[in-house]
Amino acid sequence: MEFLTPFKIAFSLLFSADAELMAIIRLSMTISLSAVACSLFVGLPVGAILASMKFPGRQAIIILSNTLLSMPPVIVGLIIYILVSQSGPLGWTGILYTPYAMALAQTVLVLPISIALSRQVFETLHTEYNPLFMSLGIGRWQRIKTLVFDARIALVTIALACFGRAISEVGAVIIVGGNIRHVSRVMTTTIALETSKGELGIAMALGIVLLTIALLVNVASQFISAHFKRAGLDV
Amino acid sequence: MSDMPSQNTAMVTAKNVSFTANGQRLLNDISVRITSGNITVVLGHNGAGKTLLLSALHGLITPQHGTITGPSRQKQKMVFQKPVLLRRSARDYFEFLCPGLDDSKVQNWFKKAQLCPQMTTPARQLSGGESQKLALIGALASQPDLLFLDEPTAHLDFESIGFIESQITAARKSGTTIVMTSHNRAQAERLAEHVIFMENGKIVEIASAKTFFSSPQTKAAKTYLKHY
Repeated sequence: MEFLTPFKIAFSLLFSADAELMAIIRLSMTISLSAVACSLFVGLPVGAILASMKFPGRQAIIILSNTLLSMPPVIVGLIIYILVSQSGPLGWTGILYTPYAMALAQTVLVLPISIALSRQVFETLHTEYNPLFMSLGIGRWQRIKTLVFDARIALVTIALACFGRAISEVGAVIIVGGNIRHVSRVMTTTIALETSKGELGIAMALGIVLLTIALLVNVASQFISAHFKRAGLDV
Repeated sequence: MSDMPSQNTAMVTAKNVSFTANGQRLLNDISVRITSGNITVVLGHNGAGKTLLLSALHGLITPQHGTITGPSRQKQKMVFQKPVLLRRSARDYFEFLCPGLDDSKVQNWFKKAQLCPQMTTPARQLSGGESQKLALIGALASQPDLLFLDEPTAHLDFESIGFIESQITAARKSGTTIVMTSHNRAQAERLAEHVIFMENGKIVEIASAKTFFSSPQTKAAKTYLKHY
């Protein structure tokens, strides 16, 4: 095979909007966006609570979430696999080898990112706002609401960071998803499979899509940060 | 305890208050009784403890010794030397400071402060004078019984100073007790009814403004007035 052949096949698949390729891209995006939404839904309030309140066990939660930042994806995949397999405590859900299990694995992977990054943002903001909160006698939930609202721009970039991590994940989703065609095959697992089969065209096409997504995420992140910095809304 | 030269009731009282941080005693055995309906100006050199005294009286810091009694949190407000500006529009920030006002009242306050064109501007993009005016109207709109102002006109232009002083006077007339710090002697003479003079975390002299500026009793106050 010539060096350029995979690229030619890749562009031909992309420009023809190959149905299977598009379905894989759609599924990848759906799973990753769902995982990001879930991780932000849980992670942001946790980050805000850790940043603005002192309570027993706070330090332990911080250490745990920081440790989970460096958790290997295959370990996350293995744990989720054990949990949702038929004999596991969540076996009754029947989600093993479905996109739900993959979204769950990605959520667990990016949740520590959303907690750690949002905690940093909220801590900066809380240090600045605390005298005003104290002066106005603002209660703890109102504080959290204010921090989350005022950090909204930083939270967009946190969401993009989480999305970048989720969409590029392969180890965990291949374990819990099984890489089943038309069911749980996403971009990264397809690249791994097709490369092992020597089918570099489709692998390259998906690689190009992944790289483009990474580029767009970074451009969007930079654009949003710069725009809101000019507007005085950055943290 | 040193009493203000007034027959009015006490709005806020500190008894033997001391505050230490990093091994340094920053407020040293402060006892003061601030009476209702007056403007009290706290004077002193940088580092004398003026801001810290306001923070203690307002309840932002908890002294290790002594007691402070004053109105409830809802009835007192503080405007910081550098206002803490939220990341939202000037109007939204105002409504955060003073929630529940109807639209016409909000408009009136902005009109009064000549800030109508800045209503939708992000609060953090306002100039120093504009943000100070915004913080002040945000505090005044809730008609507090007690208002603390930490150098409310530092580094501001004449127009902003004029507005802020007029609002302070108006608030005092409507019954708000005002405790403020200032480095501006002329301003203190214009506004103050009582003066608290501080040095090295201690209250050195408390007097009516007239007495303090015409015949200060302590050497520290005399020296201070020579320089300001």
